[in-house]
Amino acid sequence: MTLILHPGRSRSPQATGGSIGRCTIKDLLYALVSGLISGSLYASMALGLAIVYGVIHVFNFGHGIVAVIGGYLTWLLLSQTGMGLIPAVVCMLVMMFFFGLLIFKLTLNPLLKTPNWEFSTIIFLLGLGILLENLTLQAFGPRVKYIPPFFEGSLKLGFLRVNWHEISIIVIVLVFVVLLNLFLKRTWFGKAMRAVAQDMDGARIVGINIQQTFGFAFALATAVTGFSGVLLGTKYYMTPHIGWDWMVKGFVIIVLGGLGSASGAIYAALIMGIIEAYVTLLLGSLWVWPAWFVLFVVILLLRPQGLVGGRTL
Amino acid sequence: MGDQKIGMHGMTDSLNWKRIAIGAGLLLMAVYPLIHGDPYIMHIFILFFIWSLVASNWNLLMGYAGIFSLGNIAFLAIGAYTSGILSKNLSWSPWLCILLGGIASMALVTVFIGLPALRLSGIYIALLSLIFADSLPTILTQTRSLTGGAMGLHDVPPLFEGILRIHSYYICFALFLVMLTIIYRTIHSATGLAFVALRDSREFARSLGISEYREKLKVFALVSFLTGIVGGFYVHYLGDISPTTLTIEPFLLTIAMMEMGGIGRFPGAVLGAVIIVFGNEFLRLAGTLRLALLGALICAIILFFPGGLMQLVDWIDTRIAARRRRAHG
Repeated sequence: MTLILHPGRSRSPQATGGSIGRCTIKDLLYALVSGLISGSLYASMALGLAIVYGVIHVFNFGHGIVAVIGGYLTWLLLSQTGMGLIPAVVCMLVMMFFFGLLIFKLTLNPLLKTPNWEFSTIIFLLGLGILLENLTLQAFGPRVKYIPPFFEGSLKLGFLRVNWHEISIIVIVLVFVVLLNLFLKRTWFGKAMRAVAQDMDGARIVGINIQQTFGFAFALATAVTGFSGVLLGTKYYMTPHIGWDWMVKGFVIIVLGGLGSASGAIYAALIMGIIEAYVTLLLGSLWVWPAWFVLFVVILLLRPQGLVGGRTL
Repeated sequence: MGDQKIGMHGMTDSLNWKRIAIGAGLLLMAVYPLIHGDPYIMHIFILFFIWSLVASNWNLLMGYAGIFSLGNIAFLAIGAYTSGILSKNLSWSPWLCILLGGIASMALVTVFIGLPALRLSGIYIALLSLIFADSLPTILTQTRSLTGGAMGLHDVPPLFEGILRIHSYYICFALFLVMLTIIYRTIHSATGLAFVALRDSREFARSLGISEYREKLKVFALVSFLTGIVGGFYVHYLGDISPTTLTIEPFLLTIAMMEMGGIGRFPGAVLGAVIIVFGNEFLRLAGTLRLALLGALICAIILFFPGGLMQLVDWIDTRIAARRRRAHG
């Protein structure tokens, strides 16, 4: 939770920002584009939180480190085994899926049966997050790591200049969201997850194995979050500690979107990405955190149920 | 310390063994500087007094009132910074500044967390308080001229000129006793009962005419005030404070104290603080692995020992009762 701001590796000019008087239409457009890019990154990251909360009603306070581990695993596979990017990501996804399944079966499943589960799962996941964060630190050291961009070069649209890599991130996140949506709506497991999210007793009556669905949802969310870590690692840099900042942003996003609503999380992520870009442009990057806090309080006071309140997944 | 408090179950005395243990523990704390008085161990004791109070206040908020606050270190930091800045820049009496620090903490926390929290429940309060605590360091680094920025506030005047460690020890010991009494009385007052009723069955409590809003605000105000006061003593004892107080480590240590002692049990947090504060000194040997061990400890307690040390105390109690029953036939 150390609060060092991360302006990131963004190559857009808005990173320097901080002057209300001097910004032109061009700056405003740049900020919009860069807000869309970071918004889609946040969307990929917040989805895992929304899935876990939606299905299991557990708030994953170890979410940030899961993203970091996903990024580091991919980095390790890329740099040590000489794999291509796609095989490395697929390997990472499979590993993260089983890692999530293992954590759920061994720890969360018994915890959920205790009377005080709501509280103990929060503290447990917090402790687990710190444990994993510091193990990552031991294994990889505190040095900053980068995942190379997917594509080199940039696209010129009039005066607007956007990296191909950043366009590819938006496309990847879009495809990813569509696939996830198809999974949730069309496949048996996806339908089971939604059923459990909407009405646990009803789901049990029609013969859905709740424990299994919980485990599957947690494992899926772990893999999804690991994938978002890869995307974040290509756009920004990675250290073992950066997960906290991502996670706190993810919290604000899913509260704005409505807890446990996957589509709400996506809208909220785009909104917050754009707001963040404009705050950086107009007030300077140091004001980004207070802005997140103020927005969070405003959301909670005006619309605690979020943008798409009531709907689950 | 911990051993003395809980290690007296061998006694078959008809007196309550817990009272004897608490008495022995307090007596040890009262006479320690006179009979041994190692400055380093006195320092650890002072830290224990301070952190056990932070953890006990937190436990009052979380364990008794059932409010998932994750920002209590921020309450401490607000009190400490307010008191430190006032006494350093205006040279007011530290005692007055500590009081003002407590009031500042109470005002800020009640406005920013307490009032929004009236409309919210459970997880939302956890997120709000976490993000509140998380945005403080940014504000501190933004106001460098006043708070010292990332370097922190240095050369805060002590409580009085020429203070010795033994004086600090007894001042903090007195604070420890007074504040624990306040917390104990709060738990056993009508307010405390109202918390327990609200925590266990909100509908039932409401039907008895308990105002949830008023009780929640009361506990927020009380806990943030007391934690702010502790923060004042903390900064005047140590002489400096920096945003590192708000990093994950003190936060986790305090959580570990509560979990170790047993959430929602009165002296639990104090028992937990004994183990964690003294154990942390040994853990320094583990170097960079310390935080990993702390995380692992918290996970292990929750998984295998959810009631904490108070569970052990209860277990000893039942053993003694069973033995007595057998003895009486």
